[in-house]
Amino acid sequence: MDAIIAIIKPLAWLNTVLLRIGRNIAWVAMGLMVLIIVLQVVFRYLLNDALSWSEEAARFLMLWMTGLIAPSAYRWGGFVSIDIVHDLLPKRLGSVLALVLLLVSLFVLVVAVQLGYNHVNSGWLFASQTLKLDLSSMGLGLVRVKQAWMYMSVFVGVILLLLVNIELCLKTLAGIIDPTREVPADQDHLVITAE
Amino acid sequence: MLFFFLPLFLVFLMVGLPVFFALLAAPGILLWLADQPRDFALLYKNVYNGMNSFPLMAIPFFMLAGELMNRGGITLRIVEFSQSLMGHLRGGLAHVNILSSMLFAGLSGSAVADTSALGSMLIPAMEKNGYTRRFAAAITAASSVIGPIIPPSGIMIIYAYVMGESVAALFLAGIVPGVLVGVGLMLMTAYMAKSNDFPAAAPRANYRERGQSFLRAFFPLMTPVIILGGILAGVFTPTEAAAVAAVYAFIVSMFILRTMVWSDLPNVLIKASLTTSVVLLLVGAAMAFKTVVSLSHAPEILAGFILSLTENPYLLLFLINVLLFIVGMFLDAGPAIIILGPILAPIFTDLGVHSVHFAIIMSVNLTVGLATPPMGLVLFVASSVSGVKVETIAKTILPFLAVEILVIFLITYFPPISMAVPEFFGFIK
Repeated sequence: MDAIIAIIKPLAWLNTVLLRIGRNIAWVAMGLMVLIIVLQVVFRYLLNDALSWSEEAARFLMLWMTGLIAPSAYRWGGFVSIDIVHDLLPKRLGSVLALVLLLVSLFVLVVAVQLGYNHVNSGWLFASQTLKLDLSSMGLGLVRVKQAWMYMSVFVGVILLLLVNIELCLKTLAGIIDPTREVPADQDHLVITAE
Repeated sequence: MLFFFLPLFLVFLMVGLPVFFALLAAPGILLWLADQPRDFALLYKNVYNGMNSFPLMAIPFFMLAGELMNRGGITLRIVEFSQSLMGHLRGGLAHVNILSSMLFAGLSGSAVADTSALGSMLIPAMEKNGYTRRFAAAITAASSVIGPIIPPSGIMIIYAYVMGESVAALFLAGIVPGVLVGVGLMLMTAYMAKSNDFPAAAPRANYRERGQSFLRAFFPLMTPVIILGGILAGVFTPTEAAAVAAVYAFIVSMFILRTMVWSDLPNVLIKASLTTSVVLLLVGAAMAFKTVVSLSHAPEILAGFILSLTENPYLLLFLINVLLFIVGMFLDAGPAIIILGPILAPIFTDLGVHSVHFAIIMSVNLTVGLATPPMGLVLFVASSVSGVKVETIAKTILPFLAVEILVIFLITYFPPISMAVPEFFGFIK
């Protein structure tokens, strides 16, 4: 039991830090998405000059926003599920069921990390159609952004989901072994819902 | 063999696996057992491709617009405006609740946002005015399902994306059904008000007062005009309209009503991103699931089964409504549409039901499912806002649900209710 708690504590801390960074990038990305799309409308109508890059840039931001903030939603119980069976079972049996379900999710995520790795690697072969970076100051000229940078969003999201899943597995396991023992909670959740 | 992913998915779902994982685990396990590594790897790519869509971006923007409106004190102005119109009637506050939901529906695309925003304000007010708390909670929950029926609507954006329909056509098709639900609920309230002797809320407002409260609510009420007007006039796409709505909501609450400060902004953006990310992942997973659905020939097998029952479209529509209603009791509307839409819609379009008509039947039915026990999201929110138990609200809401079921059947058997408006604007040929 102490061993489990000893693993949970640093893992929960790591998740709290990583997810906090993720959320902060995500809300900025969300704000930028809105600005870019409004800019797209403004340029088309007021300046008569349709932007070529705006749509893809906004999609880029949306994917990263999702990948970086969805793990927070998962950690805070935001993934929709039907809890009838869980609620009908006695408390400890319910926790066992929860653990089994978390392990199924763990399996999905582990496979997804493998597939995601291959997916990202394949993305170095393809360059974006419209997103270009001006790196002439570094002597590289106009460089097309590789698709891999976009693919990476979901891959990073899956890795973060995996970390959260392991934390949840361990917490549920600790709850089955000793329901009275307190496990570290995530303060950020309370702060954000309270506001 | 592959056909079994559907029962497996249902088992996963019923024992409580989050929908996102169930959508991937069920087909994943079977593809793995069938030793099809290419389709297996495709599953992951399709999650990515499913989310990587510009039309889908309307969802985060509408979420953000709704979140900004909620924060910006806009709810209060809408309720005051409704009160000046209907507060003097017997059962005034119940009518105000319904009318506010209808107006709010033009600003937000989500029933949950509607329940929490209006419920926290109107339930205490109704109790003070002499209603029971459970009645107040029930009418709030019942009327908030109008939110995703009257445009904008998150559910219809998802339907349009998954099934390749026009968002504008679905938005337009939802207007009359949404108003119909509202009017139906008002008629039921009027009937109950007479027999239960409900109080009126306030003396009749004169035209001057009505005009003033309209002016106070003017900027928020312009939102649907900007969204729909812009889309119809071809000024912008639905996604662009949603972005414009978000910026508009920001300007209204920040500079016109001055109910928001800069430091509120990160939290508003975080909340909108959180809800969006869950929906987007679900859409991605459902799109991956959908590819396996077609690989497995499940639609053909199911269609064969359904058509073997009867080939009478009217009877089939009745049966499908019953099925959807049951599904809606257990599943959230978004996932239900993504999973069942690709299977059911082709059967009915082949039978001659227009795809937009079927989209509205399905969306409205599943939306009403949000207010039915045991898995009604709206009921849970109404319960947490009011402190009344879910079971109690579920009992009190029954007469209103009956009205909504009646409306579902009206929509089903009188296509013009949903089709006339999009036809008029030339979005349906």
